[in-house]
Amino acid sequence: MLRQMWKVVRDRYPSRIKAAGFVLLLAASLVLIGAVLVVGGAAGLAWTETEAFCTGCHEMRDNVYAEYKGTIHDRNRAGVRAICSDCHVPKEPVALIKRKMAATFEVWGHLTGKIDTKEKFQARKAELAHHVWKRMKETDSLECRNCHDASHMESTLMSERAQARHAKMKSEGKTCIDCHFGIAHSEPEGPGPSELFPPAPPKGPGKVAEGQAPPAK
Amino acid sequence: MRYLAAIAAVFLAGGALIADAADDAAAEALMKKSGCFKCHSVDKKKDGPSYKSVAEKYKGKPDAEQKLYTHLTTNPKVKVDGKEESHDNLKTKNDAEIKNVIQFVLTR
Repeated sequence: MLRQMWKVVRDRYPSRIKAAGFVLLLAASLVLIGAVLVVGGAAGLAWTETEAFCTGCHEMRDNVYAEYKGTIHDRNRAGVRAICSDCHVPKEPVALIKRKMAATFEVWGHLTGKIDTKEKFQARKAELAHHVWKRMKETDSLECRNCHDASHMESTLMSERAQARHAKMKSEGKTCIDCHFGIAHSEPEGPGPSELFPPAPPKGPGKVAEGQAPPAK
Repeated sequence: MRYLAAIAAVFLAGGALIADAADDAAAEALMKKSGCFKCHSVDKKKDGPSYKSVAEKYKGKPDAEQKLYTHLTTNPKVKVDGKEESHDNLKTKNDAEIKNVIQFVLTR
């Protein structure tokens, strides 16, 4: 196959040097185009992770973003923030791409006005929260653990109450979201994550709990 | 004259509704500042009882306000998971604000 291609090139450029030059130029162009696509793709992905991108839709800006403003993940003593993508978009490559593809349904939802008024949003608020809680229960609160590592929490710096609660988390096989829901956005009405989704064994590096959990209270 | 009275009534009713909403918002803001929602939810059981269940428990009881006032200002001991802990106070010294929070809880 390569021989045939070389023959085609030599027919056009009888001079060996010119033929080699052509092939080299072609290869360089392909590499350049590839680089542009890769860098462009990465830049595009990075752009879809920014706060400005997520809050570009008024459904987000006027509802969940408004709820999030002023909470501890937005403003705190140290100014360390977690924005939309930190909690709602996985960092692992395969999971990331899957999530980005699933997000096209959100574009469709925006175009068809699924939650484009406050009333529509309030009506579906619980359902939206449940989607997130379900995913977090299945991944042992993966997005929380991107920043918060329970095994590296300095107990001497924690209040007694916090120490007691986290010891309970270990012994009952709970995951972050079981107790720490309604922090970034206001709670929807109805049952919480523990009631909706029975405790599941933690996936991934078992930073939080070991083994099966006893039945929830 | 009757029209004036009717219009005044509408404004008063509207004002009462808005005032109610403002009181709820003020109560929730103070409760958030005091860390109440770390252990309590309006309708879900967390470490502490839900406010709906508290409202249910104190429904029709004449001493409800007094009991809750004591609860929120004297750091009483409460049992969580079988262990005794001290219950936090509301982060305010203002009586009216405390009573507003109590009303918020009792009307869930």
